Amino acid sequence: MRNYLIRRTGHSVFIILGLMALLFFAINILGDPVSLLVDEDASQEAIDALRAKFGLDRPLHVRFGDFYWDLLRGDFGKSIRHRIDAREMIIDRLPNTAILAVVAWAIGSLGIPLGMLAARRPRGLVDRVVNVLSFAIISVPEFWLALMLILIVSVQFGLLPTSGFNGLGMEGWKFMILPAIALSPRVLGRNAQITRATMIEEINKQYVATARAKGLAENAVLYKHVLKNASISIVTLMGDELAGFMNGSTVVEIIFGWPGIGKLLIDAINARDLPVVTAAVFVIALMVMVINFGVDLLYTWLDPRISYA
Amino acid sequence: MIQNETAALETKPNPVVAIWRNALVQAFFSDTVTLLSGIFLLVIILSAALAPWVAPYSPQDQQLRLRHYAPLSTGSAVDRTADPPVEEGRFFLLGTDHLGRDYLSRLIYGGRISISVGVLGVLTSGIIGIFLGLIAGFYRGLIDDIIMRAVDVFMSVPLLLLALMVLFILGPSFTNIIIVFAVARWMLYCRVTRGVVLSLREQAFVDAARAIGCSDTRIIGRHILPNLITPLLTLAALEVPRNILTESTLSFLGFGIQPPESSWGLMLSQGRQYIVTAWWVVVVPGTAIFLTALSFNLFGVWMRAVSDPLQRWRWLKATKESKEAGVKM
Repeated sequence: MRNYLIRRTGHSVFIILGLMALLFFAINILGDPVSLLVDEDASQEAIDALRAKFGLDRPLHVRFGDFYWDLLRGDFGKSIRHRIDAREMIIDRLPNTAILAVVAWAIGSLGIPLGMLAARRPRGLVDRVVNVLSFAIISVPEFWLALMLILIVSVQFGLLPTSGFNGLGMEGWKFMILPAIALSPRVLGRNAQITRATMIEEINKQYVATARAKGLAENAVLYKHVLKNASISIVTLMGDELAGFMNGSTVVEIIFGWPGIGKLLIDAINARDLPVVTAAVFVIALMVMVINFGVDLLYTWLDPRISYA
Repeated sequence: MIQNETAALETKPNPVVAIWRNALVQAFFSDTVTLLSGIFLLVIILSAALAPWVAPYSPQDQQLRLRHYAPLSTGSAVDRTADPPVEEGRFFLLGTDHLGRDYLSRLIYGGRISISVGVLGVLTSGIIGIFLGLIAGFYRGLIDDIIMRAVDVFMSVPLLLLALMVLFILGPSFTNIIIVFAVARWMLYCRVTRGVVLSLREQAFVDAARAIGCSDTRIIGRHILPNLITPLLTLAALEVPRNILTESTLSFLGFGIQPPESSWGLMLSQGRQYIVTAWWVVVVPGTAIFLTALSFNLFGVWMRAVSDPLQRWRWLKATKESKEAGVKM
């Protein structure tokens, strides 16, 4: 197990460093970082001055070494736009994104009972409805759902604020409901699908026949035996989806003016703020890695047959 | 089903009837949901392909007097292409946008971009992924290790993050979005291809082909590739809606298609600020994206189910023949 942990950690570190190298070379070779910073009609002197100021006149391999060294120390430099530490900005925004993701994730877990309901009678009416419904849910673009929620809930009925942020405390919950709902459909649908699929697969196995033959009530068969075995796939998927929230949350944060990492990244890209872009990409990748790692560990815990000796 | 096929061999009915009797075709038409999504996709794809003939008016024709006309309304527009300009009555099925352009025409032309982004994205990433997957699975060894490590790296990066990185560096445009999909989605096809190749390369027919002196290219092209068609087509059918959704998200954020070109996502983005006064500018393109993605998804899932021998019976059992034959499934 210890060897596995070491190997797995090494693997994650390799992936993050690889990704950051990709980002560095993409910025420095495919494009020119200075051209991202200055206007198109800037004079050559101004460009050279900027180049010297940010140390971009040094050879590529020196800069790459520096880049990695700064990365390891967690130092991304100061935001070009806001003149504060990029790391501070990220740490400020991280809890906001995390909480939004967890709330959306909780809403998405409602898909599990839906899938269980569908699995009771495969190809039955409930199953067909849940099946089409789950595909309908994952086909909704998140930003469109966000706009429709604003239009109907906030504008038509005035129930909740259209957008904004008021801290993560008790007074801020009103602002969180709509973004969380807008973020949840994909997880909801995927949870329903995977629960349904794995439960149907499990029901066809021998041990279910045995359990039924010994006279166990159908509910006990389904919820004590089948669900337990199906839970492995479900948990894995839910972990994946938690990591996947980084996709949807960007748009949702923009629409609702939610000050999270996704919005920070988009704002930084629009402002050509390289240190913040680098820091945001690094932290998002790190979060995804950590979640995936956690899912792998959970996996061994849920299914003792899997061991990473 | 089997009886039906042998009967077909004996009597040789005309080919149309033969296709109609095909179990798969029967299954397609007997499943209402799949049939509906198939028809919808056909309509969308045809109208996108034939946009200049289908669209009632030009998508760029601005009529500032007719701003934000509601759906199903009529108005009198000035036809500036005629000389001298003439007034003509127009009917706006889906209303007009903030510049008085016919929204139905814009929807049809926007669909052209959205669907071609989806399909071209699948094609480019598919070609790269299949090529690398074939190499990795067929030759194994070091090259396989390198390719699969790269797959791992790309698998663990969120799609939107990678897309934003690429578009940040290359700048937003139609071509660059296709590049995004090529960069960000190739590993899916690579994994599927490699998996199939790994299971096939040990099989007797591959050994036999090698024994009679077939070259590697011939073995891959003639014996391995045909076995890949079904899993890859299914993956492609599920990837097109994913791409369409991603493109619309990117365009919405301003990193995708740029005006004066238009896609469904960009229409939504442009209509966003008028959401309170003109609901249709947001509802119409959103519904188009939603229904198209849904149809592709349902169709893809149906394909996967039908091509999987373990699941196939569930879909085929509804056909008339199997009912008549009294097959219990």
